[in-house]
Amino acid sequence: MPDPILHSHGLEPFLSSISSATDCAEQPGIRIGIEPGLCHINLRGDPGSVEFIDAVNSVLQQDLPLAANTMTTGNNRIYWLGPNEWLIISSLEKDKDRVTNLRESVRGQHACVTDLSGGQLALRINGPHARDVLAKGCTLDFHPSVFHSGHCAQSGLAKTGVLIGLLDDGSEFEIVVRRSFVDYLAHWLQHAAEEFGVEFSVI
Amino acid sequence: MQPNRLKQGGRIDRSRPLDFFFNGRQYRGYAGDTLASALLANDVSIVGRSFKLHRPRGIVGCGAEEPNAILQIGSGATTLPNQRATQVELYDGLEARTNKGWPNVNYDIAAVNDSLGRLFSAGFYYKTFMYPRMLWESYEKLIRRSAGMGRSPRLPDPDHYDHRNAYCDVLVAGAGPSGLMAALTAAHSGARVLIADEQSEFGGQLLSSAESIDGKSAQSWLQDTLYQLSQFENVIMLPRSTVFGYFDHNFLAIAQRCTDHLGGNLTGQIRERQWRVRAKQVVLAQGAIERPLVFCNNDRPGVMLASAVSSYVNRYAVCPGKRTVVFTNNDSAYQTAIDLHQAGSEVVAIVDSRIDGAGGLGEAVRNLGIAVFQNHVVTDVSGRRRVSGVLVAKWDGDRCAQINHTISMDCDLLAISGGWSPAVHLHSQSGGKNVWNEDLQCFVAGESVQNCISTGAGNGYWSLRSCLQSGHDNGRDAAVLSGFETVDLSLPSVDDLHSNALQPLWRVPASKDPDRCPKQFLDYQNDTSVADVRLAVREGYQNVEHVKRYTALGFGTDQGKLGNINGMAALAECLDRPIPEVGTTTFRPAYTPVTFGVCAGDHVGDLYDPERKTAMHEWHLSKDAPFENVGQWLRPWYFPRGDEALEAAVARECLATRRSAGIMDASTLGKIIVQGPDSVTFLERIYTHDVANMKIGRCAYGIMLGEDGMMKDDGVMARLDENQFYLTTTTGGAAQVLAWLEIWLQTEWPELDVHLTSVTDHFSTIAVAGPNSRRVLQNAGCSIDLERQSFPFMSVQMAELAGVTVQIFRVSFSGELAFEVNVDSGYALYIWKKLMEAGKEYDITPYGTETMHVLRAEKGFVILGQDTDGSVSPHDLGMHWMMSKTRDHLGKRSLSRPDGKRGDRKQLVGLLSTDNTTVLTEGAQLIENPDAPPPVPLLGHVTSSYASACLGHPIALALVAGGRKRKGETLFAAASDGSMVPVKIVSPVFYDPKGERQHA
Repeated sequence: MPDPILHSHGLEPFLSSISSATDCAEQPGIRIGIEPGLCHINLRGDPGSVEFIDAVNSVLQQDLPLAANTMTTGNNRIYWLGPNEWLIISSLEKDKDRVTNLRESVRGQHACVTDLSGGQLALRINGPHARDVLAKGCTLDFHPSVFHSGHCAQSGLAKTGVLIGLLDDGSEFEIVVRRSFVDYLAHWLQHAAEEFGVEFSVI
Repeated sequence: MQPNRLKQGGRIDRSRPLDFFFNGRQYRGYAGDTLASALLANDVSIVGRSFKLHRPRGIVGCGAEEPNAILQIGSGATTLPNQRATQVELYDGLEARTNKGWPNVNYDIAAVNDSLGRLFSAGFYYKTFMYPRMLWESYEKLIRRSAGMGRSPRLPDPDHYDHRNAYCDVLVAGAGPSGLMAALTAAHSGARVLIADEQSEFGGQLLSSAESIDGKSAQSWLQDTLYQLSQFENVIMLPRSTVFGYFDHNFLAIAQRCTDHLGGNLTGQIRERQWRVRAKQVVLAQGAIERPLVFCNNDRPGVMLASAVSSYVNRYAVCPGKRTVVFTNNDSAYQTAIDLHQAGSEVVAIVDSRIDGAGGLGEAVRNLGIAVFQNHVVTDVSGRRRVSGVLVAKWDGDRCAQINHTISMDCDLLAISGGWSPAVHLHSQSGGKNVWNEDLQCFVAGESVQNCISTGAGNGYWSLRSCLQSGHDNGRDAAVLSGFETVDLSLPSVDDLHSNALQPLWRVPASKDPDRCPKQFLDYQNDTSVADVRLAVREGYQNVEHVKRYTALGFGTDQGKLGNINGMAALAECLDRPIPEVGTTTFRPAYTPVTFGVCAGDHVGDLYDPERKTAMHEWHLSKDAPFENVGQWLRPWYFPRGDEALEAAVARECLATRRSAGIMDASTLGKIIVQGPDSVTFLERIYTHDVANMKIGRCAYGIMLGEDGMMKDDGVMARLDENQFYLTTTTGGAAQVLAWLEIWLQTEWPELDVHLTSVTDHFSTIAVAGPNSRRVLQNAGCSIDLERQSFPFMSVQMAELAGVTVQIFRVSFSGELAFEVNVDSGYALYIWKKLMEAGKEYDITPYGTETMHVLRAEKGFVILGQDTDGSVSPHDLGMHWMMSKTRDHLGKRSLSRPDGKRGDRKQLVGLLSTDNTTVLTEGAQLIENPDAPPPVPLLGHVTSSYASACLGHPIALALVAGGRKRKGETLFAAASDGSMVPVKIVSPVFYDPKGERQHA
């Protein structure tokens, strides 16, 4: 593979269009971090099969979340997407062979490993008004008593489909969006967060 | 100088004077004023002209019910029409104007309508502007102008609006005494509470009340309570927020006005926000609206609701008149007399229709020395531009009695109260019925059909004590029903005066019969009088909904908040039926008018619909490519060189591709990975061709049919492994196809072990086409042998290209030797640029969707959705060879129906203009005989039509009845200018019919 620097996440034009504008002195109400270069893997398999669970665990060194709409964190962030479907996000550099290794580990089973790294982008949203911004575009209830850390859900944000998870300490959301929608979503976020002050950065 | 302003009291801030303009004239008010209170303080008595009769009208109410003071606020792009002055907070520089009255509101020429009043009866517009029908649109404009409808802004709205979703356990609509008690009690239990109120500050009636609570003023109890509420983390308090809609599943919409009260120049802030609330329980605490009384000339400026007068005196420190007569049929208006008296204003008399007058308040009034005329009614009002006096007559309680001797009283203000109507609007919107309460003489909320309860005055509790009690109880119960502990708060103590019952008094008889006496208005805003309702009944209208539409009763910005009940009572009297039998009209959202902005939120402009962009988008932009919307995708249409127009660019792109090499961004194709041991079985049920026979590494063109046997989608299928396939779908069909496949898999064939994963966004697709395409890939450093022996047409191989792992498909949508490169989208732009570089020596030419269309049409390849609609079968397209003969698949049985076998079905053919130059219009109808008399049989239509640079003449595809048998025939294509273009039916494959080039 060529230098990772050649790898683009799709938000470069958006970021260069706002770089001069977001020079706010005050503490922004929303911080949005873009996480390029991660490895996104879609995993399908039978959670009732010990063979499958063991095989996946041997590669990931982490449990698959089996309860609906939950996630586990560790070496990877693993999201429950459906009764037999997960999304695994991990650092691309660290896990160059992860797709191959996973695929090998479940060979012969009715299980599938699909690389989606080029197709989606993860955004981190935090700041005192993170929930307020999400509430503008998503119909889920993000109240801390309802949406705990470790929860995730596939839903709509503004007019695009997203996966939303609340990370460890309950102060930061991860939002996974399809690549072709990232430019739209970034513009929407910028607009929706304007009243609170917003800062974009690449993590 | 504010002549009607009291020296002290009120919730206004006398240290903050605000200047404002009404119809161009400057006035002054104070912070805390509404536009209405400021106008009254300045003794502006005429604020509008009535709808049809152009009678002068003054302010009647003090809230959402106001029918007359409907003004245009602001100017230019941010102007707001139809604003109720009673709900507009004053700000410095506010500009308000009336839309009614010409040359101005004080001298209105059209007031002549009033003298011609009888012409302008119910149904006037229907009767007068019927003929000729085609002129209705012109009439409508004139009527609207004359009626003084508000003007919507002509300029684009510069303001920001947005939406916000919210959840709560208990939503409280209305922050008067009962709403506040409900919120407080629910908050103590730990429930998430959202309380909203349309006014600028919470408190409702408490803001104007002279009563005391817990030995303190109502306002000081209010302040304490608001402080308590604000200390709860589980409470959201929304002032200036109208709960305007109650929808299914306890979903309610709230319009929050964030900046209107601050005036202009608020860049970056949200002007209005729509809260979209999902509530477990709803407490409706909207209070009640006072009803006017119906008597002659009851619309004169200076006739006001008694409660409104109290509010102006107590809350805004404005005394709207100097000499007041109070006319009532119940106790509450006695308080108005007391309030006026305390403010130092003269109360001429209280005129009470009841024999025994008021209870406890009656006593208080007499102690103040105010004259009370029990058993009397006001029959008429004198003064045209302002009340100058009233006629009072003895009343024997019988509605048909004649009026005998009258007493005349001089006054400039008449405060009226006909009782109270609970604001049952939201209950009605929620689907609940409203039921008539005979004791209270009003409609109250009937049984709830959603998780809601009406409380306080909104449910017929009039006294402050009962409002606090019911609010407390309902708030507690709502919290318990949402799963919280029972909490009981100690109720504040309030003196409860004994009150006497209201006397029903729906219309005060006049000396003449109702059709000849001076107008007795029911609905001020629509100029609907008792006589109009009686006329409607005489003309055959009996149902309340019909009468509403015929007389306009209850229409307009106030939606009958004042007039509806009196109107129904008038109808009941005419029909000689009890009021509950006549019933009410249905209340619908919005409770008060909302702006388009609050409905649209931020779904406007660039954010109206997502634009999906490919990984090469920036490159296309840098080449000035115009874009075409395909679904939500933006696809480059063509790549102009210099100031080249579409036709020239497309001709150049086509020739370059056919002669050397073209390159296209095909990333928008839908892409699905199918995996699992039952993949073949699954795909053979979906697709028509034989999948089992496909070798690993080979591709096939596949079509899928709907259950009706018609073309649903098409694309290339590749077998990547024994149990792994890769499908492409059309750009627009991607999402639906995946959903369609999942439906079959999950609901019909759950026994199949198959997984589907969309990789549309993961892979970008770059198509390199043309005789030199192989050399371009080789130049770019492709790691595999691309020659035909090792990489034949319709096969797929993994490769390294410029150091990146890619998947290369040898497929062709142009009919040329072509390769489609699938690459991780993160590297797509890099690979695209590498291929451009590698293709330089072959003058590689980027092409857009238009050239793609021409190239495929030259080959007779259809585009689903363009050359087909939902009624085209594979047989119609000549694709019968793709149908498996040995097995079943979706849609196969439908094709065996007789209709699927008709010989005269519309079939795909090619068309050539016989003059060899005319490019046909897409969509043009095809006929046999241009001279045939109508109706001319239509044989089909042109589906695709282009100038073909390679062939040197225009080509077209068409669907023609029995088309394949008509080859060689001449038909005529109807052009939009009426001319007929002769066309010859030919094979749809115009270029390289043997298909040799793609196999090169």
